[in-house]
Amino acid sequence: MTGSRAPAFASDLAALISARDAELVDIPVIQPADQFLDMAGEDLRRRIFLTENENGQSLCLRPEFTIPVCRNHIELNAATPKRYAYLGEVFRQRREGGNEFFQAGIEDLGDANRARADARSLADAIASIRLVAPKAELETLLGDQAIFEAVLAALGLPRGWQKKLARAFGNPGQLKSLLADLSSSQKNGFLPDRLTALVADSDEAGLAAALEEDMQVAGLSPGAGRSPHEIARRLIEKANLASVKLPAQAFAALETFLAIRVPLQTASTHLRNFSRANEFDLGPALDQFEARVVAVREAGIEQENIVYDAAFGRPLDYYTGLVYETRALANPDLGAIVGGGRYDRLLTMLGAVDSIPGVGFSIWLDRLEKIAGDAR
Amino acid sequence: MTITLALPSKGRLKEQALEVLEKAGLKVILPKDQRNYRAQVEGDSKIDILFLSASEIARELGYGSVDLGVTGEDLIRETLSAADERVQIEARLGFGHADVVVAVPEVWYDVSTMADLDDVAAEYRQRHGRRLRIATKYWRLTQQFFSQMHGIQVYRIVESLGATEGAPASGSADIIVDITSTGSTLQANHLKVLEDGIILKSEACLVSSRRSADPAGVAALAQRIQAAMAHG
Repeated sequence: MTGSRAPAFASDLAALISARDAELVDIPVIQPADQFLDMAGEDLRRRIFLTENENGQSLCLRPEFTIPVCRNHIELNAATPKRYAYLGEVFRQRREGGNEFFQAGIEDLGDANRARADARSLADAIASIRLVAPKAELETLLGDQAIFEAVLAALGLPRGWQKKLARAFGNPGQLKSLLADLSSSQKNGFLPDRLTALVADSDEAGLAAALEEDMQVAGLSPGAGRSPHEIARRLIEKANLASVKLPAQAFAALETFLAIRVPLQTASTHLRNFSRANEFDLGPALDQFEARVVAVREAGIEQENIVYDAAFGRPLDYYTGLVYETRALANPDLGAIVGGGRYDRLLTMLGAVDSIPGVGFSIWLDRLEKIAGDAR
Repeated sequence: MTITLALPSKGRLKEQALEVLEKAGLKVILPKDQRNYRAQVEGDSKIDILFLSASEIARELGYGSVDLGVTGEDLIRETLSAADERVQIEARLGFGHADVVVAVPEVWYDVSTMADLDDVAAEYRQRHGRRLRIATKYWRLTQQFFSQMHGIQVYRIVESLGATEGAPASGSADIIVDITSTGSTLQANHLKVLEDGIILKSEACLVSSRRSADPAGVAALAQRIQAAMAHG
């Protein structure tokens, strides 16, 4: 199934991951494109190989495995918990270098014990690297979306701001410019006189009725896109936000938080101290974080260099908790050898009826081959 | 060695491009047969004039199959990836002005900036189970502006082949990215441009290909036209 172009260690690696209680699945190379664009966003379009079938349906060469593996699970209506392993080619457009890469990984679906599943995912990922590059000096960066969201909630920020900042997690530039925006006030743009009073009175129903008339004049169908109620609600929300400012103290606390970068073993203590100093209650997010640290210790990978970085995240809205990536210290330019994370929202977004938690990782085999060669 | 200079094949752009060349002392002898797409410059056998559509000019400059061309900056940036590595803008010619803009329905009173649009796009998917749709002919410019400059990921581009401004009313898209010169078409369709929604202020430009086989000849010709522009 891997063909002759796969690295020499591919079959050993496939044996290792499938021996870790995961069913090796075969995913078709040609995939419907929309599922990837819907989940990862339009930016992916220029990086995948797109084509159309005769009916005009967009198809692409498999750019990654997580989404099709999860889709496959939903379509088969398979029982959970369930673990899937894969090894095969993915296709990405790049300006330089090749366009075909081998990836392998494990997707762990439906394990209710999230701390244990997270630790297991990390242990599986690191064991996969160690199979091929036993001596390479590694650093695993670990972030947590749930902790970041708990800090935003503890700061007492309005919901709208919390959502906005949470979306920028893992994108330092965007986060910084948002914080600058929030320190100054924002207000609604031009508003016709007849609407001003309705907004000031927070009269959502009245406002929606007025907006619906405007939509009819403009020939917009009120049921097709954004509804009059959606617009009315946001107008009122914005008017209320305009009077709120991000207090200097909250701003400073957030900056202190984002600068936390410590070995995982001491991270719980750091987070406890941080929340005590600011009188925050990080609630279940911190409990979950601590349970994960314990599970990582129990998984027997504590000799590995794992660093908690409070600002590390991925700006994709299906990631919900743990995110991590492992790099080789001798090859910083190579980027991540492995990337992984928890995506508890993904299966619902892909159409699963029940909420199914999930965590997984993928390994770039070409990068792994490179560090194995260099370390030898 | 001859230099190929591509000009727009019809309309006001063609007329104005010819005027600019004439100012630089390059009188184009138009072919008697209107269907002929090649022409010569009076008294200069080293320049080949080629009439092409404005978007073809952008593409051919990218390939290097023409050395110089007159076309809109919007088409250069839309047609070519990494445009600045492949072509160079030698002169802005002062005609063919058009802005590529992000426009939303006027009734979206809560949306006046790209930051607002970011909020709306994120909420839209959660509420409607699909991405906010943008109708445009400018796929690349839209993608760069939304994803790379503003970090907005959750949207979908609906390719529009004409009358983009009608897409929100017809229900085929929620917002548009299109060119506008006076804004009157947008207004007639009850659309408004976002405060920070100007993607590109475009005009007709003299553009050279970086893949030309005769860079010195191209530079000399470009300079001659630049000098004529500078003298008005």
